[in-house]
Amino acid sequence: MSKSGVAVTPDCVTKFNELKLGKSIKYIIYKLSDDYKEIVVEESSTDPEWENFQKKIVDAKSSYKGKEGKGPRYAVYDFQYELDGGEGTRNKIVFISWSPDEGTLVFPRMTYASSKEALKNSLNGIGAEVQANNEDEIEYSTILSSVSKGKR
Amino acid sequence: MTATLSNTTAPNTADYGGDEISALVLDPGYSVTRAGFAGEDVPKSVIPSFYGIVPSLNGPKHLYGENAVHTPLPNIEIGNPVSQNGVVEDWDTATQLWEYAITSRLTNTKPSNPLTNGLNDKTDDLKQEMDGVETQERPLDENPLLMSETGWNTGKGREKLIEIAMENWGSPAFWLARSGVLSAFSAGKASALVIDVGAASTSITPVHDGLMLKKGTLRCPLAGNYISDQLRLIFSTAQPSVPLTPHYLINSKTPVDAGAPAQASYRTFPIGTEPNPSFRALQEERILTEFKESVVAVWSPGRLGGHNQHGGTNLDSARTQNARPFEMPDGYNQFFGVERYRATESLFDVKMALSDASHHAPTPNQTLPQMIAQSLSQIDVDIRPHLLSNVVVVGGSSLIYGFNERLKQELEAMYPGPRVRIFSPGSVVERKFSSWIGGSILASLGTFHQMWISKKEYDEHGPGIVEKRCK
Repeated sequence: MSKSGVAVTPDCVTKFNELKLGKSIKYIIYKLSDDYKEIVVEESSTDPEWENFQKKIVDAKSSYKGKEGKGPRYAVYDFQYELDGGEGTRNKIVFISWSPDEGTLVFPRMTYASSKEALKNSLNGIGAEVQANNEDEIEYSTILSSVSKGKR
Repeated sequence: MTATLSNTTAPNTADYGGDEISALVLDPGYSVTRAGFAGEDVPKSVIPSFYGIVPSLNGPKHLYGENAVHTPLPNIEIGNPVSQNGVVEDWDTATQLWEYAITSRLTNTKPSNPLTNGLNDKTDDLKQEMDGVETQERPLDENPLLMSETGWNTGKGREKLIEIAMENWGSPAFWLARSGVLSAFSAGKASALVIDVGAASTSITPVHDGLMLKKGTLRCPLAGNYISDQLRLIFSTAQPSVPLTPHYLINSKTPVDAGAPAQASYRTFPIGTEPNPSFRALQEERILTEFKESVVAVWSPGRLGGHNQHGGTNLDSARTQNARPFEMPDGYNQFFGVERYRATESLFDVKMALSDASHHAPTPNQTLPQMIAQSLSQIDVDIRPHLLSNVVVVGGSSLIYGFNERLKQELEAMYPGPRVRIFSPGSVVERKFSSWIGGSILASLGTFHQMWISKKEYDEHGPGIVEKRCK
């Protein structure tokens, strides 16, 4: 249960299971609905370019009471990385909570942070979790080092 | 846009897409109690947590509010229901004071039963008249109440809070949230190390996945009041000493040169009616607060007791630069150089603590860096680096110039490996009221109605329900 009572729409879980089982979806971006009552799928994609995903997250917006700021988001990413010494590749599903320190309104910050557990707990099969609050924390290399920690 | 709303009107529920509720949010601190309607940007009611005690025919009478504690009434004494250790000691007075914070500014159309709220003196006549109407006269029986609490509040203390809300105030629904968790969330972080620098305490609260980690939650006594005491020692030991005479003792003053003795005429009170020393102490505190806001700073880089690159000490550097003027209420004025930094240095470096018989120096384990180290040592080693890169600094006393830079430097020296990153809300209001603002947003969410502990549930399960539900 989250601390906010915000609900997770069934679609969030269905899409996640597609990503987990189908291997065609690369990532899903989740957001809070405009009335901040439930978590919905904003976009899912098969695009394997990390930079494109990163740009979408960083450019996200949230508004409240007529003001707009940068937007927090949740995302899951089917992260693939090479093991050291040519021992092959591994896949891990990463759960990312993105809430920029700069340029966000306090209302979306509070609501996303207090609702995160609701989404994370309804998705089974997450291999790693990242909390990113600055752009450098959502760089490929940063995510790679935390995803592959201890397993390289 | 909320600024156009009047004090006594709850915000339009349509504004935040909520259901038909106008919840109240109460965030009590040692120095200030904050109350307001959920959904608003700032608390409308910010009152001192101190209260006045004056003699009356029916025994000591309590006075609440800004004007009451700052007016030198005959024999007035100042009390605080919360101890210096940040724990409520006098529950009856705390209940009345918090109720005042809410009813005086927010819901003043519905005062509670004057017999039981203690805001009036008891009389037997009134008792007879008021018998039988008690059940309808609850102060807050229309508004759900979200309250914040310290990280070290005990299970008993938590139960006491829901009892006050349900039994004394008639709240229809209640929620209790750790203030450190609210501050972490309002910074956009479900996991963070929250450092809240208040008046009586600095609280250190590790939060992981939205839950407070009780083991690492610590209270450090070095906070705003400690800095004030360091200033008192600096002033009293200066040659010549710096007078700390509050406004209420000054009739008039004449301008004098910097460092020259004050030339003022002082107010006297008829013998036997002088305000109690506790009143003077609170008035001194107001001057010291102004001094802290305009003069005091935290030294960096390096330690004030350390050496600079020219072979001298940083103390020498501080003596010769950046002096700031300050004028006391009696007209005494002076430039303060090294004193600016001296007052805060022992938050970080115990060797620089000033002390005397009544102000003991802290132990080496009580400095902020050492307390943070103790906190981190008690939590899972895997999440320590993560918390160090998500340090959230809030609280009024953290606004002292240079505080965050120095804290970062100390943490980096202690933990050279992980990256240390400090986040503080950009605006002063968000920094001072971070936990109230977090509570305001949470309680305003349309989805939060399913979280509240209702009166019915309380009646069914008793106060123990708070421990089960408000994790």
